[in-house]
Amino acid sequence: MRTLDLIKRAGKSLRSAKLRTILTALAISVGGFTLTLTLGAGNGVRDYTTDLVQNNFDPAELFVGRDAELTNNGAPSDSPQEYDESISSFQSVGGDSSFQFKQVSRADITELEARDDVEQVRENYVITIQYITKNGAKKYTGSVAAYNPAQKPEVKSGSIPENGDIQAGTVLLPDTYLELLGFDNSEQALGESIDIVVSKAFNLSSLANLAQGQDLSALDVSQFNLDDLGPEEKTYTYTIGGVTTKPATSLNFGVTPVVISSTDAEKMYEFTAEGTESFDEFLFVSVRVKDGENKEVRDQVKASLEEDGYTVQTAEDIQQTITQFVNVLQLLVGALGFITLIASVFGIVNTMYISVLERTREIGLMKALGMSRKNISALFIFEATWIGFIGGVLGIIFGLIVGLLLNPFITTSLDLGPGNSLIIFNPLQLFILLSSLMLIGALAGFFPALKAANLDPVEALRTE
Amino acid sequence: MINIENITKTFGKKQNAFTALKDISLDIEGGQTVSITGKSGSGKSTLMHVMSGLDHVSTGSIVIDGKNLSTMTRRQADSFRANEMSFIFQAFFVEANQTCLDNVMLPLEIAKVTAAKRVKMAKDALAAVDMSDKENVKARNLSGGQKQRLAIARAIVNKPSLIFADEPTGNLDTATGDLVTNLLFDLNKKLGATLIIVTHDEDLAKLCRQKIVLKDGELVSSKVSK
Repeated sequence: MRTLDLIKRAGKSLRSAKLRTILTALAISVGGFTLTLTLGAGNGVRDYTTDLVQNNFDPAELFVGRDAELTNNGAPSDSPQEYDESISSFQSVGGDSSFQFKQVSRADITELEARDDVEQVRENYVITIQYITKNGAKKYTGSVAAYNPAQKPEVKSGSIPENGDIQAGTVLLPDTYLELLGFDNSEQALGESIDIVVSKAFNLSSLANLAQGQDLSALDVSQFNLDDLGPEEKTYTYTIGGVTTKPATSLNFGVTPVVISSTDAEKMYEFTAEGTESFDEFLFVSVRVKDGENKEVRDQVKASLEEDGYTVQTAEDIQQTITQFVNVLQLLVGALGFITLIASVFGIVNTMYISVLERTREIGLMKALGMSRKNISALFIFEATWIGFIGGVLGIIFGLIVGLLLNPFITTSLDLGPGNSLIIFNPLQLFILLSSLMLIGALAGFFPALKAANLDPVEALRTE
Repeated sequence: MINIENITKTFGKKQNAFTALKDISLDIEGGQTVSITGKSGSGKSTLMHVMSGLDHVSTGSIVIDGKNLSTMTRRQADSFRANEMSFIFQAFFVEANQTCLDNVMLPLEIAKVTAAKRVKMAKDALAAVDMSDKENVKARNLSGGQKQRLAIARAIVNKPSLIFADEPTGNLDTATGDLVTNLLFDLNKKLGATLIIVTHDEDLAKLCRQKIVLKDGELVSSKVSK
């Protein structure tokens, strides 16, 4: 018998037992459905992660730290470390745990800047501000960040330079402040000024003034008005150079910070952090590599820095870490889908065994008419493959429908921004999935097919 | 031409051994109508099974048109059956959920006849049994007589040289049985195929030119009328 005829006849046989075929196929479709969505979600999350990394990190930049545990993909060590003045302690919220990390010092930054293969070193300033206001009007909480050209804000009005820093004395104001600060629209805000007020936690200069040259250890603090000791506040006034809106791929999950120039950020940082234990020490600094767009160059510099005792991560490493997490999650959900498939395999085996028993006389007739054992076996394997195909098509169609229906909902609820989808289907993957389900069906049909092929034609024809 | 020489067929082994055919030798002319009669358990069906290659003989040989069935491999026997033989059974064995055309095309598919030729040959076969109007009717909707005519169409579609009919009228009433009998003998004349009928029906056996009678696995007689 020709293969095409076997395939057609197998399909016809299944059509004559429609309900049983559909029910068996539905079992395999559950696995197909789960795997379709899992693959789609994996693609979507990976694409979104790539977007996030591309829109938030400069590929030529390296994130350089001093503590290996920062990139250790896990919790910091719970054993005490040998004291080193470059180690700073961080207390968790609630104070029930603390972590010690070795920091990048000013000396390290100087050393990094001196390297021939480094174009620029950018400190990642952490600045705490008091409030933001305009002409003494209402005060609003917020945060500031130094301008990072890798994080491309969406500009509503004004302009930002393609490369380099924004102009000192100007800010990029998030549009969330427009109405609060009394602006009708983004154009109106341009050129206007806002005040950012910061404070020092402890006013050392006030203490020095009060002490007036006395020995501090012998000082009787009760004679002073403690309110005079601070905190010392300072108001920075900036001109609004642009109004921005938070891009969908922003990694800022809270209130979008007001962006100031690096120079201004440095000044503000010096005012707020000078005198504190962690002043001029950073968990990470961003190091822009000369010709760092070239992966080979970037990797060489990374290796060289690591040899010098630094902890280095590239944007790709960060992406890889996220992707790894997504992959593990996808594997777990995929495993559930696979278990469903295994269960459905028994369904196919059962259906095919029943089919062989019911069609014993038909098998006897086909053998009498000269059909070979190989063709009898192939006929039943093709029937099982058809079940895999029907189940696969149903599962994939259900998966596509659910995915396409869920996408707008997920995009809105996770605020992914227009054009971003968390479930993306890849036709090649779906084709491979369908082929795999057909193969699983074929394998499930193997033993029933063997039973059919081995039937004695005389006995089969005598079956009542 | 079929030459059967000293065949025996034994089922089981040692104490459980049962000999269904005992040293049977006979010849059948090509294009002949042949009846095999005998009581139940006489070995009629076993003789048909070994003559068609569905079962092997224990000893002896069966040579059909110069080809020794006893020495053929299973694959060779399958191919020989697909091209030279066909069967009609008491229980019809038609595919109830398939159309008449699909049922008739089954032997052609097995014999790897091309799709275009298949449809024409199947339509011709249905026309030969006067069932052209039932081409697209599912076999489950046919009467018993129609089902047997369909089985006959399936049996003649690949123009075999040898047709085995195992109690072809056993499930039919007398009138329908007569119609089917007439059809079988008409087709034998038209097609020239050897028709071997296994039957209990003495009237049907009388219509055949060669009458083989078996008893307890032994050949009682094999007479050819003029």
